Amino acid sequence: MRLSISHETAYHYEDQVRASIQYLRLTPHDSERQHVLSWQLDLPRPVRAQLDPFGNILHVLTLDEPHETVIIGARGQVDIDPLREAEHESQSALPFLRFTRLTEADEALRAFAAQQCQQRRDRTALIDLMHGLNQHMLYTPGATAVETSAAQAFAGGSGVCQDHTHAFLACARSLGVPARYVSGYLFSEESEHLASHAWAEAWLDDAWYSFDVTNQLARPERHLKLAVGLDYLDACPVRGMRRGGCEQMHAKLVVTAAPVITVQQQ
Amino acid sequence: MIRSGFDEMYDANGQVRPHYEAFARWLADTPDELLAQRRREADLLFHRAGITFTLYGDEQGTERLIPFDTIPRSIPASEWRVVERGCIQRVKALNMFLADLYHEQRIIRAGIIPAEQVLANEQYQLAMQGLDLHRDIYAHICGVDLVRDGDGTYYVLEDNLRTPSGVSYMLEDRKMMMRLFPELFAAQRIAPIDHYPNLLLDTLKSSSPLDDPSVVVLTPGRFNSAFFEHAFLAREMGVELVEGADLFVRDDKVFMRTTDGPKAVDVIYRRLDDAFLDPLAFNPDSMLGVPGLLYSYRSGNVVLANAIGTGVADDKSVYPFVTDMIRFYLDEEPILKNVPTWQCRNPAELSHVLANLPELVVKETQGSGGYGMLVGPAATTAQIDAFRERIKAKPHAYIAQPTLSLSTCPTFVENGIAPRHIDLRPFVLAGRETRVVPGGLTRVALREGSLVVNSSQGGGTKDTWVVED
Amino acid sequence: MLSRTASDLYWMSRYLERAENLARMLDVSYSLSLMPQDGRGDGLHELAMPLLITGTLDDYRERHGDLHAERLLHFFALEAANLASIYSCLGSARASAHAVRGRITADMWENVNATWLDIRGIAEQGLNRYGMSRFCEWIKERSHLFRGATYGTIMRNDAFRFIRLGTFIERADNTLRLLDARYEMAGDQADAVSDGTAHAYYQWSALLRALSSFEAYTEIYREAPGARHVAELLLLRADVPRSLRACTEEINQILASLPGTNGRQAQRLAAEMDARLRYTCINEILDGGLHAWLTEFIPLVRELGDAIHSSYLEVI
Repeated sequence: MRLSISHETAYHYEDQVRASIQYLRLTPHDSERQHVLSWQLDLPRPVRAQLDPFGNILHVLTLDEPHETVIIGARGQVDIDPLREAEHESQSALPFLRFTRLTEADEALRAFAAQQCQQRRDRTALIDLMHGLNQHMLYTPGATAVETSAAQAFAGGSGVCQDHTHAFLACARSLGVPARYVSGYLFSEESEHLASHAWAEAWLDDAWYSFDVTNQLARPERHLKLAVGLDYLDACPVRGMRRGGCEQMHAKLVVTAAPVITVQQQ
Repeated sequence: MIRSGFDEMYDANGQVRPHYEAFARWLADTPDELLAQRRREADLLFHRAGITFTLYGDEQGTERLIPFDTIPRSIPASEWRVVERGCIQRVKALNMFLADLYHEQRIIRAGIIPAEQVLANEQYQLAMQGLDLHRDIYAHICGVDLVRDGDGTYYVLEDNLRTPSGVSYMLEDRKMMMRLFPELFAAQRIAPIDHYPNLLLDTLKSSSPLDDPSVVVLTPGRFNSAFFEHAFLAREMGVELVEGADLFVRDDKVFMRTTDGPKAVDVIYRRLDDAFLDPLAFNPDSMLGVPGLLYSYRSGNVVLANAIGTGVADDKSVYPFVTDMIRFYLDEEPILKNVPTWQCRNPAELSHVLANLPELVVKETQGSGGYGMLVGPAATTAQIDAFRERIKAKPHAYIAQPTLSLSTCPTFVENGIAPRHIDLRPFVLAGRETRVVPGGLTRVALREGSLVVNSSQGGGTKDTWVVED
Repeated sequence: MLSRTASDLYWMSRYLERAENLARMLDVSYSLSLMPQDGRGDGLHELAMPLLITGTLDDYRERHGDLHAERLLHFFALEAANLASIYSCLGSARASAHAVRGRITADMWENVNATWLDIRGIAEQGLNRYGMSRFCEWIKERSHLFRGATYGTIMRNDAFRFIRLGTFIERADNTLRLLDARYEMAGDQADAVSDGTAHAYYQWSALLRALSSFEAYTEIYREAPGARHVAELLLLRADVPRSLRACTEEINQILASLPGTNGRQAQRLAAEMDARLRYTCINEILDGGLHAWLTEFIPLVRELGDAIHSSYLEVI
């Protein structure tokens, strides 16, 4: 399946910003499942691409002239191999056993994981876990925020794809299965539409397998991968800070425009 | 059980050890009033100079004086040379371990350290994987904590490879002793230590491939417990003391904001933990770091001393493997001993620990500063029971060691002079060569019988002498 | 130099200078309050003066209600909750000094730190026991000591320049405000050709003594203090160290000697201010009314302070 992507993100600030810096993970790389035919970022100024600690392609955009808007565009074509289920990598998966603030497994999550999987540590066990989490946590936009942890969202019984993924990671790691956060795009056939999305990967039989809790999909046929990490903070497409009129840096961005994404299936 | 201890000044028969003879004579000849007066003078001078620290969790940020004891801890030079070689050997092996861990991981493949123990450790930083450092040095500045058991044998208690502190007290204690009792330094040859800041600057400069790099000290700020030391070292080295907000990154290069515009920074002696260095890469709530710093570092445009990710090597769960590291990387026998350690993560060792809590010292694998530890022989039954539950809930977070007696040194207390337990932290600098200034910081537990020497737990300090014997 | 370091040095010396000026203000009010008052014996009006000048009278009323001699003095001098008290100024100066511990000499730091430790002791025993005049003298003495330690020990570099910049900006502002307030207190008599009344005499001589300028005045004018000459002395005499003219001259020179090109705005403002004082005379000032002239000048000093901030102390 060949996907064409055109994705523009615009940040408008209420006050003029004196300086800003953004970590951009908006460029997919080749893997067993996906082949990048062409890709281009449109940025306010040229930036060198580099690899981050997780092997993602990263651009660090620093702007130190006063500005009120930042517009970031991403365009390209990627072939997805829908038949390939798992991806192999030479790096050790063990670092993906550790918990982070967003993926800490509290008593409730540990108990839930143990109850869903019992002694099983295979793919079917994690598929059961995926379905279980989907039923426990109703997809509810607005119920959680970017900084909501897995434990908080699980306790609230609702969330979006980020919360589903965090909860899955917390459970898998509590079972001793390395698992990581994936951010990317999901193509949905009904609406001929591509949306920013997040799902999980778990390390089983020496390969990474996908688990999309939100859509209850264990085969990543319609998923384009941008970046991986321990949690949302490592893998999110844009993470930035700005220095405003006052002296402090602001950790959060004011996002007023929703991303516009178009796609044609060929 | 606390065994009968080793005293630094007196042997088992109560005779003064040879390297303390000159001091003992002086002490006997000096009137008590004069000593008391000099001690008051020392307190006043320390207070005036603002040589203070702040306690964690103290919301008023009250500055306290670290009690200074005027009876020095003295080490014969022949004994010191062994300790020195041992510390250098250890730091070399630890740096080789870090370089290996972040590259080929030979030690894991050789089956010496379990992969999960280091790779799943929170202190293992993926950001360091495959990154080449100048001279392959990760820990440029280390503080090796040593104690002596009942027979006087030195043991390494822990290796501090992140941001070890205390060197300013070592230097100020010496200055104070020379000011109060100059006659002592005339009477015998005591190895000088005041060139430490020069060695530190030399070490920092040699960590960069540039000829004359611009060096700064990065502090979390004036409310940090060790701020005095950060300012002290910056001043002694003649470099800028900066906070995160004084630095910024433009196109992968680090600059500081000056009255004359941006100025490039090449080496950062950072006294800030990994998690706070770059809010865009680590803890997003950190207001202490510099956004973009990680990628400037990964691009090789700036040196961090110590490097990111050194904590995996001084983690208490990795500590038991250090002697094996020395054998593996250097093909040498360890000069300094490790304290036998039980890892609660292993079920067999856990049950031994739980069965023997009243005799053991239990520590958090990632704790420091004497917080969150249990000293079995000094604890009440209730405290032991509470700790037992904590260990059971999170066994992987604890290790246990036998209670060492810790050597004692005569110390001024309310009713005259009495023995108190001490430890020793020599500071090791790794650059073109690996060096240690003679002695180090001696910390003393001022409460009778106490084995906890940390300043946050009521410990004091002593000047540390290496004397020709 | 780091912008933050420059900022801390600048504010350290501003706060120390402010503490000294507040003590001088307090000293003059306290001695005048002991004088026989027109029909009233409490001198409260006079004691409230320093609060009026510093804009803290409302804050006082909110916390302590009616004017009360002891409470007024304590509030102004030693109250920790009053961020404008002498006590708080010394605390702020010490905090700034602490932050730039590495850029000032040990003599300077020990002086600031010891002053802070001592005033905490004084606050514990209270002003009554310590003695009001003794307190004001002590503050001035500590300030002299700090200045002496600074001149005698620190290298003549940018650190020294930013320290002095803070001193003179603060002093200029203070001299203007103090003169304005005393001029108002002297009332109708102030503008009389020969304001030789006892009341006016005490007002002006107390002000001169508070600014350590009494000797300078008698040497230059050789007559009893009056509004015209006091104003001339405190505004236009370059040879009187606490005069406005002396301050702007220093500021102008310091700014001109700082490196870099980002300080143009501050340099222009300082040069304009200096030229204005250099080429005017006291008659010109008094023609338009002293109060009006002072009211116009005080915001100029503030504007210069802001320009120094944006040029050097908060650089991107």
